[in-house]
Amino acid sequence: MFEFFFKYPRTLFNQGSFVFLNAWPLWMLWAGVALAAVGFGFLVWRKAGPANPIRSALVWLLQTGLAALLLFMLWHPALSVATLKPQQNIVAVVIDDSSSMAAADEAAGSTRKDRAIKVLNDGLLEKLKEKFQVRVYRMSDHLAKIDTLDQLSAQAPATHIGASLRQVVAEASGLPIGAMVLLSDGADNAGGVDLETLAEVRRQRIPVHTIGLGKEQTERDIEISNVELPQRVLPESRLSALVAFHQHGFTGQKAKITIRDNNKVLAAQEVTLKADGSEQMEAVLFNAGPAGVKTIQTYIDPLPNESNTRNNIVTRMVNVDKRKPRILYLEGEPRWEFKFIRRGVEDDETIDLVTILRTAPNKLYRQGVKNADELKDGFPSTPEELFAFDGLMFGSVDAAYLTPKQLGLVKDFVDRRGGGLVFLGGKDALADGGWQATPVHEVMPTTLPDRKGTFQWTPANVRLTPQGSDSLITRLVDDPKKNDKRFSDLPYIRNVQNVGVPKLGAVVLAEAVPMNGGGGALPLLITMNYGRGRTAIFATSGSWRWQMLQEVADKSHEMFYQQFLRWVVSDTPRPVTGSTPRTLLSDESAAKLRATVKDKAFLPANDAVVEAHIIGQGVTETVTMTPDSAEPGAFVADWQAPKQGDYLVEVIARRGEQELGRDAFTLRREDGTAENFHVEQNRELLSKLSSETKGNYYKPDDAQRLGEDITYSEGGISVRETRDLWDMPAIFLAFLGIRAVEWLLRRKWGTI
Amino acid sequence: MRLRTVFFFIFAGVATLGLIHAQKPFHDYVGDPGVSTEYAPGQVPLPPDWGEPAEWSRGRLKYTSSGMVHPPAFNTGWMGWATDYPKGDRHFQEGLRRLTLINASSVEHVAELDGSDDIFNWPFMYAVEVGHWHLFQDEADQLREYLLRGGFLMTDDFHGTLEWENFLKSLYKVFATRPIVDIDNTNEVFHVLYDLEHRTQIPGKQFLQSRKPYEFDGFEPKWRAIFDGQGRIMIAICHNMDISDAIENSDDPEYPEEWANLAYRLSTNYVVYDLTH
Repeated sequence: MFEFFFKYPRTLFNQGSFVFLNAWPLWMLWAGVALAAVGFGFLVWRKAGPANPIRSALVWLLQTGLAALLLFMLWHPALSVATLKPQQNIVAVVIDDSSSMAAADEAAGSTRKDRAIKVLNDGLLEKLKEKFQVRVYRMSDHLAKIDTLDQLSAQAPATHIGASLRQVVAEASGLPIGAMVLLSDGADNAGGVDLETLAEVRRQRIPVHTIGLGKEQTERDIEISNVELPQRVLPESRLSALVAFHQHGFTGQKAKITIRDNNKVLAAQEVTLKADGSEQMEAVLFNAGPAGVKTIQTYIDPLPNESNTRNNIVTRMVNVDKRKPRILYLEGEPRWEFKFIRRGVEDDETIDLVTILRTAPNKLYRQGVKNADELKDGFPSTPEELFAFDGLMFGSVDAAYLTPKQLGLVKDFVDRRGGGLVFLGGKDALADGGWQATPVHEVMPTTLPDRKGTFQWTPANVRLTPQGSDSLITRLVDDPKKNDKRFSDLPYIRNVQNVGVPKLGAVVLAEAVPMNGGGGALPLLITMNYGRGRTAIFATSGSWRWQMLQEVADKSHEMFYQQFLRWVVSDTPRPVTGSTPRTLLSDESAAKLRATVKDKAFLPANDAVVEAHIIGQGVTETVTMTPDSAEPGAFVADWQAPKQGDYLVEVIARRGEQELGRDAFTLRREDGTAENFHVEQNRELLSKLSSETKGNYYKPDDAQRLGEDITYSEGGISVRETRDLWDMPAIFLAFLGIRAVEWLLRRKWGTI
Repeated sequence: MRLRTVFFFIFAGVATLGLIHAQKPFHDYVGDPGVSTEYAPGQVPLPPDWGEPAEWSRGRLKYTSSGMVHPPAFNTGWMGWATDYPKGDRHFQEGLRRLTLINASSVEHVAELDGSDDIFNWPFMYAVEVGHWHLFQDEADQLREYLLRGGFLMTDDFHGTLEWENFLKSLYKVFATRPIVDIDNTNEVFHVLYDLEHRTQIPGKQFLQSRKPYEFDGFEPKWRAIFDGQGRIMIAICHNMDISDAIENSDDPEYPEEWANLAYRLSTNYVVYDLTH
């Protein structure tokens, strides 16, 4: 239909650019149109006068339009389009050969691969061969030329469209590749096509025409899209696996999510499925268990008649660190809060609580120190000594007890070292301790009141905020509603301190609701991320009642402090930290290794020599890492995992003879899993790829048009042609239409 | 009166009762019927700041006396739980304020094993004349629960074999099998604030008349304890000494200063030990 009215196919209009072939300047066209408008206006006004302005305006408009159309034709409109020279160009026909192409969801139960072959054999390949040299490739995680379509197997474990495009572009630099035809379901395992590759394709002017295969929406399937888990945690930590999934055909039904470590079930949760196609997120809590590398599998039980159950399982690697972070707790007065916090975390083998207690004006009592000399002079005065800790906690201690240098170090501890910092309430704490006038105030999660008397002996109940209900710090019971109730049922706290106004970015997890009802709720537990670290205020010294006023078997007090203090230190970096963006390589081998290296004062050690030692699957390899210019103290390396399996990577940083530190992490290469996901046709990717490269997206039924459309391309060896537009049927129809409307109107008005 | 107002008053009443039930207000027992004290009402006035809340206060355990342990002429435990009360307590609270950074109240809090939650609000409990105490089983059960939750009990001012045996009768109702052990000199309780390796027997005021540092056959002072599963002292047992009396009479010019001094230091160490372990 388009071609009937406009003489040429739509592709030509997409590819070509509009030009006027008449040499007369364009301003003369606009001047002519304006002159015609004025002339017709004058004639219509003189003949009809002001008697009937609407009729006059319509007649004027139609006559001016007709004149404009005639002038437009006089200027000789045309399309300038590049066309490939016959027999001098190569067309790359790329067929997806991954295992997702074996899905039998095409018409009459045929597979996607069979449908692709049929599209080509139904005449498209012949048409292309008439005009071009045709090279046929099979695509998986790389591109391979094939001689016959029989060589397609639909068994390759992965699809990397981006890598294939790059290969075509590379060949185009030496060969006249005029266009590319991609037959695929668009199920790419490398996360799509990167902008750099797209830019390169555009630069080479190779249009990519895509033919989409497979259903755009599965009928009965549930698929895990992602599972968010930290790469490293402390032993026995409470973890939240954030499971994202979507489904079609099971709305309103129940599904069961299970978290497993190999075959051991760590947690299970039943969920009600939301609307078809909508992304659903559920948090499943579980315990990380003892130190070691965990292969955490998130699994959704297959639903009745589910079409693809292989996308119901996702694996993540979690390194449960052996390290025992140390928290330094400075307390200004012996009090029950101090005693019960110490007891609360005493059984937690993952945290080392070191305390300095001011027992008398001139006496300190140290607990948890490594030896008699550690902290013998009290609170550390050097970054090396202070930054050896992972977390800091201040109790009822006046800010004036610390020197200005020590206060500066505390701020740096959070900002530069990336440590966690906690303030507890007390008669000499927070605003009553003058902390608002120190540099540390900047890192605190609230703006403290600028006055004394903020510590109030007001018994108060604790109430979780919505953020608190979701937080792992305050999760005493897995079920959020029961957890809210658990907190509201806790024995009241004896006192609460006014901490002022939470800062932007701070999160209030719990509030204190005074039992006398006066004054309203006060922020009680507030957290905030600052710089590389994190800070928190727990504005009471009366939480020990949670221990004394509940039965021995109740572990609320212990759980709260253990979870709280783990949060304080769990993300505190070591001087040398190794990492990789993805610990699980699904059907790929390329891994990016990264290390951040700091000295004992946590300043970037750019002059370090950093090596990654990799062991696993019979491989023992050492890779020298190179500095990353984007970030001081960061080092990177690319490495190829040769086989499936687990690899231990140990990063060691040295400065001269001195070892700055070492860190280890695990990554896994797993083959044959990627193609189980995103099995429906990714039309969005295919459409975008074609539109970005001036190609077209086709459904298999329309693909035969490609034989003609493909001619118009600026890639390869092409010539520029002009195609007249003045004789388009649409113009003549417009001409006739204008005259007909004018005639009909005049008849109606009785003027003819 | 509108229905809403009625409900409000009912709710407020229940809430207030609940609060009172959880933590009883301060009460001076001097002059109370049925309570025998050494002091008459007004003889030991309340400190001006007695109503000021504070982080710490010593609980004094109010228990039932078992009656005659010794022959009538020698029965010293007639005052039972209230021996040296309240002067000894007030002196000690004041002493803690001077010697440490503990935010101590100026008054003690008398607590009972009465099945209420009150006692759990005072994690440091002091019991005197325990050679005459008698714990009923439900009281012993509550004391066990108190100790296992993290409470600390310091016992003092009982002397000789007969009182020891009576002490054990009730103690075994609390912990039938936990061993009572002599505290080693190296234990932190003797070093946490003051180094107290060299300790002497601390007699009560009776020394001024008898010139004997011991009572009955309690010739040797014993610093003993029952420990919890983590090796922390739960019950400190000060047998054959009268720390309480020494502190009570520390303002008596006739009472030897060195014993009063040691009594303060020992008691303070027990408190700081409890607050750090």
